[in-house]
Amino acid sequence: MRVKPGKIALLSIVVLTYLFLYLPILHIGLASFARNSIFPYPPKWTLDTMQRLFASSLYQTALGNSLIIGFASATIATALAGLATIGLMRHAGRRAPLYLALFIAPLFIAEVLLGISSLIFNGLFLGLQGNMVSAVLANVVHCFSYALLIIATQLYRYDWRLDDAAMVFGASPARTFFEVTLPLVWPGLLGAFIVTFIMAFNNLEISFYLLGATPTLPSAAWGALRYGVKPELYALATCVNLVVFLLLGIMFVLMMTGLVTFGHRPERERSAV
Amino acid sequence: MAYITLDGVSKQYGSVWAVDRVTMAIEKHEFVSLLGPSGSGKTTLLRIIAGLETPTQGRVLIDGEDVTHLPPHRRGVAMVFQEFLLFPHRTVYENLAFPLRMLKLPKGEIEERVEWVLGILALRGLEKRYPNQLSGGQQQRVALGRGLVGRPKVLLLDEPLANLDRELRQEMEVEIRKHQTALGIPFIYVTHNQEEALSMSDRIAVVRGGRIEDFAARTDIYDRPKTAFIAQFVGRSNRFEGLAAAAGDTTTLRGEGIVIEAPHHPGLPAGSRAAAYVKNEKIRLKPATPGDAPAANALAATIRHVILRGAYAEYVLGWAGGEIVASRPRSEAEFSAGTDVVAFWDKSDVDLFSATGEP
Repeated sequence: MRVKPGKIALLSIVVLTYLFLYLPILHIGLASFARNSIFPYPPKWTLDTMQRLFASSLYQTALGNSLIIGFASATIATALAGLATIGLMRHAGRRAPLYLALFIAPLFIAEVLLGISSLIFNGLFLGLQGNMVSAVLANVVHCFSYALLIIATQLYRYDWRLDDAAMVFGASPARTFFEVTLPLVWPGLLGAFIVTFIMAFNNLEISFYLLGATPTLPSAAWGALRYGVKPELYALATCVNLVVFLLLGIMFVLMMTGLVTFGHRPERERSAV
Repeated sequence: MAYITLDGVSKQYGSVWAVDRVTMAIEKHEFVSLLGPSGSGKTTLLRIIAGLETPTQGRVLIDGEDVTHLPPHRRGVAMVFQEFLLFPHRTVYENLAFPLRMLKLPKGEIEERVEWVLGILALRGLEKRYPNQLSGGQQQRVALGRGLVGRPKVLLLDEPLANLDRELRQEMEVEIRKHQTALGIPFIYVTHNQEEALSMSDRIAVVRGGRIEDFAARTDIYDRPKTAFIAQFVGRSNRFEGLAAAAGDTTTLRGEGIVIEAPHHPGLPAGSRAAAYVKNEKIRLKPATPGDAPAANALAATIRHVILRGAYAEYVLGWAGGEIVASRPRSEAEFSAGTDVVAFWDKSDVDLFSATGEP
């Protein structure tokens, strides 16, 4: 069978793109399990760097703080964005585009600026010192905008008249939400939660300004750079990447199987049956 | 007191009154249609009864209880939607059990009632399917079943047959009426399709611009239209215009090339503009003969097209004033296109209305 030149060109572009995306990550992954971590080709395998990473109390505290920031920010951002989306779709009327623009505007503000301005504002007006609470609040700002976009794409396909049907057949508003709305839109909410968790977990700039000396994983890594690139940094990067890929994998699988086992397809596909 | 009462119900959206001072009373055994063109407010009226919209003014009473400010889930009503709106993540069985679960019925009774509905709607064997695995007609049946299963105080139907093809629609018309009679609860049926309204209803409310134009038995709506709008909207009619003149028990309308006599109409002063409506099936035909003298309620015409409708034929006739349509049973003498005929009708078949104020 002859392969056409066009197809070869296409395939090589795909391969090159993936290499461009993933080679640095692969390199770090390899380096974190190698004794010769500066240039691990070929690698001499070891788990030393991993052990040193897990033995370090600084990194453990940092991991704890990052997890707290990630979970708290993602939870608040997803809940707020879910409510905002419902508001946009059901009650905003003709002004919906304006509200939407204002909701997603924080995406276009540099995170450094968000961090600095949150620090100043929280201190001046809310009396909040730079601490975990204000770091979470500041992270929620840009997480909210991302979550809104993700949830909106899912809820856009949701037929709100299903809520009418549930209520006419005796379901209270709360019951309607849990029996009908949530089972049909949860992939969007979960997706928003996972993405915003990763964003807040990995965030350096916002958290850095609001936390000062309190370490998070990114700020600990940033701080460690002053003493050169240590092998622990490789190990840390690999761990974080593994967790992120795991979460994305879970999200992917859940959304696929979720759609299949519920037997639910969007309205426009259903009409073709 | 009536089973369902709407008392001066109005609904305002912005500066528009979608429903405007509607008052009507519906009895427990009745099948009532709200018939009107799209945008006439009939669906809004239905949603107000369901509790999905709150009226700006007026009261809604169901079974003696003022439900105006009760949320939909506490009204004990049920609804069949045009788009079916079955829960896509639930099987047919679960969709049918939903209203019963909300009523917190014991499990045994839920099973019994779902079984009953599966039986009367011929849905057995489909219990485990999801809505997207059903045909349009099957989805329709499940939607109807979900409406009946909870034995609601009233079943509201919002153009439930609009998405079905013609044959299926006619089949469902018979079935819906059958279930209404068997259950003895009122059905309120919203439609823009006069055939559906006429085939099923006891009474029809013609809705126009948010108001009830007339609310009467279906035969009255069809045979004795109260307004020009109803005459035009219900059934198929031919319209003639002219100036009115009254004499004894007859009101005469003189138009260009035509004289129409109708039963006396007290609301038409001599010389005022009027419009006469004659239903297609009331117009009879006879072959033209040389020397036909012009007469009242008759006109000379030529057959332009013949449209075959199975049991009857529709003749499109050209005459001096334009075109009219006559539909005649096939059992009568048939005419072919190009034939000169005289179209005529009875005085009692003319519906006369004032046309002053019309553009």
